Amino acid sequence: MSSATDRLSTVTGRLDQSLQPLADGFNRLVGDYVGELNGLQFALVFGSLAAVLTAPFWGTFGLVRAMTVAAIWAIFAMSWDIQSGYTGYISFGHSVLSGAAAYTTAMLVHNVDPELSMAITIPVSILAALVVGLLIALPSLRLSGPYFSLITFVAVLIFYRLIPSFSAYTGGETGIQSVEVFTYDPIARYYYMIVPMLVIAVVLTVIARSNIGLILVSIRENEAAVNAAGIDATKFKIFSFALSSIPMGIGGVLLVHFTGGVDPTTFIVVDRSIEMIAMAVLGGMSSILGPLGGAFFLIVLRDYILTDLAGLSSPARWTIFWGLVLAVLVFVREGLFRKLWHTLERYGGGQP
Amino acid sequence: MISQLLSILVLGAMISAVYALIAIGFTMIFGVGGVLNLAHGALIMIGAFAYLGLTSSAGALSLPPVVGFVLAVAITAGASYVLYAGLVTYIEDNIVITFLATVVVALLLTELIIIQFGAEPSQLIPVVPGSIYLEAVGTRIRYVELVAFIVSWIAIGLLWYYVTKTDEGRSILATSMSTRGAELTGVDLGTVKSRTWLIAGAFAGIAGVFIGTLQSTTPEMWLNPLALAFIIVVIGGIGSIKGSVVAAYLIGYLETASIEILGPSFQGVLSLIVLAAVLLVLPHGLYGRELVHE
Repeated sequence: MSSATDRLSTVTGRLDQSLQPLADGFNRLVGDYVGELNGLQFALVFGSLAAVLTAPFWGTFGLVRAMTVAAIWAIFAMSWDIQSGYTGYISFGHSVLSGAAAYTTAMLVHNVDPELSMAITIPVSILAALVVGLLIALPSLRLSGPYFSLITFVAVLIFYRLIPSFSAYTGGETGIQSVEVFTYDPIARYYYMIVPMLVIAVVLTVIARSNIGLILVSIRENEAAVNAAGIDATKFKIFSFALSSIPMGIGGVLLVHFTGGVDPTTFIVVDRSIEMIAMAVLGGMSSILGPLGGAFFLIVLRDYILTDLAGLSSPARWTIFWGLVLAVLVFVREGLFRKLWHTLERYGGGQP
Repeated sequence: MISQLLSILVLGAMISAVYALIAIGFTMIFGVGGVLNLAHGALIMIGAFAYLGLTSSAGALSLPPVVGFVLAVAITAGASYVLYAGLVTYIEDNIVITFLATVVVALLLTELIIIQFGAEPSQLIPVVPGSIYLEAVGTRIRYVELVAFIVSWIAIGLLWYYVTKTDEGRSILATSMSTRGAELTGVDLGTVKSRTWLIAGAFAGIAGVFIGTLQSTTPEMWLNPLALAFIIVVIGGIGSIKGSVVAAYLIGYLETASIEILGPSFQGVLSLIVLAAVLLVLPHGLYGRELVHE
């Protein structure tokens, strides 16, 4: 450790010590399920949680709106992570899952009955995401490595091309814009998105830290060994895809009730899948909370800082967005938030 | 009916040759380095836009089309090399990072092209203008389609000669068969990879100019050729040049036939069905080997 780090950690170590009792309490309560924290990490997690929960009271309209969108994308990024990040089977097809849910909602409202209650459309849409997820997973998971990624990429193209072919039902290129939004009140809307996101974050973290998560990581590291240990890797790969389809469906439903409509560009195109992946990678793959952080970081940057504050045009914003993602991929492979996490671990004095 | 069949035969042969070029570049890079270059479509886009910038009458240069074509191919080959030497070589040990990074490069390039050329489709000046009506076939062929066919086959022929008859070329083939074996026989891996990226880039440049002329030149044009390259390469077998040519013709004909018979809205659907069928029956494609990379 360099001397600068030493000097800094005498300060941060003391800070860590003072927070340690709180962290210890947390560790005793739920540490077995979600992993143990040191004082600084505790401060980070609960500080961000408090900031996110109180955002409407201190943030501007633009910031809250960006964070509302970010909450939905955080759900996508985390769902992608539990499947692709953990098992190493990189899927480019996740936009189809959220798209399936959103399209189911919109098509039910548009084609069946405009008065259909959300109590019916929401579960049906999530189920649709699950079915489509299995439809993609069952044939493609016979393949491994690059072949799997190629096929999921092609799956997006198939769905994208099917939409105009059935434009009587799907609305073609312009989509269906007659879906009811949850609410027009920006503050209530914010909590409609944040609460499901937090629940999904906790559930996925618990699963990822359980034995299931361990098996998924083992598949990524050495699939043959998993099979040799008598565990059916294929079963777990399909399970992880199904597991990821459900929150993808929830996210898709939230997004359709946020925008009030569906169209192929907002929901299906492969750019959307890559955005989710970018968020997950920027935050740190296979950590669930990393992708969450990545989603907030990128969306707030793009929709608030670069749009509202810097006033850049759309191509310029996207150039910065993708440029940043590329830089993180090359220089900080493990992801920004994982790096931050490990830095906090190092600067905390309490644990060796 | 006969004339329709003939026109499918002729038009399919033209476009398939270009598809073969796209797929060969993609598959060679995978064969040699184990890299899935998702920026391959972006290279094709660079080819088309370089040609546009060099020859467009609105541009500062407005070079003659043939000169523009040659320069565009050279620029694309250069871009491909820069992509390899400037980015891929640092990250190719991690396959996941590599294909994420290359796809991000494609998206980044899309935005840069929108900033420079605008989002609207642009029109390319054909390398050779004019068209001919084939009486016997009952279809009109643009000369540029004929040129695309001939140039593509010359390129494929040259490549075939290069990788089977010359030592330099054979070292590329050897590397794609066994990296380790090639290294043990004194092949310098770095040089082979650079050469492969240059060739793949040049092929993408040729394909870019023709795809841009025959189909469309837009900032989104990278996606379709990339998807085609995927489909063709998976059907032909990843890493196999012969497989790429055969599968390119299969897909090219399928697309032409489905457009002629079923109408343009079904373009691509048939190829996707064939792709799914091939994957289920022959997971490694027609001429694929098991992926052995140590």
